[in-house]
Amino acid sequence: MAEAAAAGASAGTMARRRDWRERFPWGWLFLVPTFVFFVGWQLYPIIRVAWISFTDYEFLSPNKPVDFVGLRNFQEVLVDPLMRVGLLRAAGFTALFLPGMIFIPMFLAVMIDKIQNQKVATFYRLLLLIPSMIPGPLIFVLWKWMYDLYIGPINFFLVNQFHLFDLRSQPQWLGDPKLVFFALAIMEWWWGLGYHTMFYLAGLATIPKDLPDAARVDGANEWRLFWDVTFKRLLPIILVLVVLRFGTAMAVIDEYLIMGGFNRTRPTYTWTVYMWETAFVTPPRFQGYAAAIGWVGAIAMLIVVAILFRVFRSRD
Amino acid sequence: MADVDSTFSIQEVVPYPPVTADLSHLDDWKPRTRPDFWVIFRHVVLALFAVVILFPIVWVLLLSVKSLPDAYKNDIWPKKFDFSHYGYSLQKIPTLPQNFFNSVMVTSATVVITTVCAVLAGYALVHLDFRGKAVAIGLLVASMFFPTRVTAIIAIYEIQNQLGLINKTWSLIMPYVALSIAISVFIMRGMFETVPRDIADAARIDGAGPMRTLVGVMLPMVANGVVVVVIVNFVAAWGEYLLANTLMNDQSARTLPVVLATASGGMGAWVWPRLAAVYVMAITPGLIAFAIAQRWYMKGLQEGALKA
Repeated sequence: MAEAAAAGASAGTMARRRDWRERFPWGWLFLVPTFVFFVGWQLYPIIRVAWISFTDYEFLSPNKPVDFVGLRNFQEVLVDPLMRVGLLRAAGFTALFLPGMIFIPMFLAVMIDKIQNQKVATFYRLLLLIPSMIPGPLIFVLWKWMYDLYIGPINFFLVNQFHLFDLRSQPQWLGDPKLVFFALAIMEWWWGLGYHTMFYLAGLATIPKDLPDAARVDGANEWRLFWDVTFKRLLPIILVLVVLRFGTAMAVIDEYLIMGGFNRTRPTYTWTVYMWETAFVTPPRFQGYAAAIGWVGAIAMLIVVAILFRVFRSRD
Repeated sequence: MADVDSTFSIQEVVPYPPVTADLSHLDDWKPRTRPDFWVIFRHVVLALFAVVILFPIVWVLLLSVKSLPDAYKNDIWPKKFDFSHYGYSLQKIPTLPQNFFNSVMVTSATVVITTVCAVLAGYALVHLDFRGKAVAIGLLVASMFFPTRVTAIIAIYEIQNQLGLINKTWSLIMPYVALSIAISVFIMRGMFETVPRDIADAARIDGAGPMRTLVGVMLPMVANGVVVVVIVNFVAAWGEYLLANTLMNDQSARTLPVVLATASGGMGAWVWPRLAAVYVMAITPGLIAFAIAQRWYMKGLQEGALKA
């Protein structure tokens, strides 16, 4: 009897304890560390930049009172020829960069997936992943040297080994405005090749092996097989990569700073470089105006992303 | 005679690969009608890609061991090897050891903090129920489509400036964690989704709190995903350029990639082979980490990290 009462009492406290534990919002507690950084150094800065874009804040004029100027910065940015040309240049690079970044890895993944010998397949995967272990800016430094006219091996081969050009006619990879985007795109493809191939290989692994076999028995040739079975399976991955890499390509800045500098007539002077130069280089550092440049660029990108999502969703 | 002939011809004709002790490859093997051309084509193309991938890395490696006279001739293979550039650049370029230390410090702190955050958050987003979960997910997803790194840098500079953190190398850790937290959380979320709900329920019925469930039961099951998060963050932080360049002005406060990107080759201490030696030292840690962790990294990519 007494034992039963004790058991009942302890069951009661346990139930109360469990009740407390069940009702406590553990989820948010687990999210606290993430959100400290996310809010402090991402969400807040984005909102803060939006606020700055409505002011005439100049970094190097600390004594000048900061005034709210409404939409004036945005009115000026929207008619600023440098901004328009900067967005167009970024779009031009994106158009050149995207097809190679999407389709070369797909082509490669299909070939690796067909290799029967698992050891060879793994070897190629590992090898292709090596560039993705080198951080972006270090890739850019390496390729800046690769394209160098004096030390670079690319022109060494073209001029000294194959004699396709002489020293005067040799391609100025980074200096020639017509070539620079192409040179940068090759570098990006080299860098992203392995990582993107992994995405496609993960997708290819989900195709049941008897599906292509069945189609073959039905008399489908390899080409039809690729479009009807493989490509269809890979389409969701392609769409995700298009959206992700569109965002990367439009907001490229490190490459342009490392390889292009601040020459306003060059193709690498895009809206991102314009924003950075306005905010951090040219006195008196019109940060209000630069913030407006940043937000206009971001909104332009988000509009395209929204359109892409709409188009892709309607396909399903 | 006839017997010998027929045995011989059977061995020739029967379309099976030679039987070895390991028969597992038989499952993958299927008869093909005209394999030869495509198999060769495939291997030629793949080998070509392999050469293209390896060439720049091999080139910079060879440049870093060229003797100085060789450095001005562009032959890929040096006539005379000189391994002294590594020691020279570490001893004679004044800020370099400091830059190296800066990179190591900032990167390791960023990796540890982001990984812990991402494991906790990924777990909560999949296996815990709470109000406002959709809002948390929505905010993190939206941030991945916003060019934060470019657009927010003005305000990040302002924040760090007001906190007096310009030129304090360790202060790079906070924006670095922030920039890769969303993607890291989603990699971990993808991994935790592969863990069945029953396991979480079973642990709860056994009286384990959420923390004990995570550390004791689930963490071993998502270990490959943790490796992916560690590597992704290592690469991102080790090479970050834009913020490091904007927020650090003193050469001694800078990280290695900024120093390398701003060094102009060919002059004085920065003669090409020495520059290349610094470069090789900068990329080696990442490649070693990859060589050690590649097995789990590949598994992690396959298991859930790429289900973005």
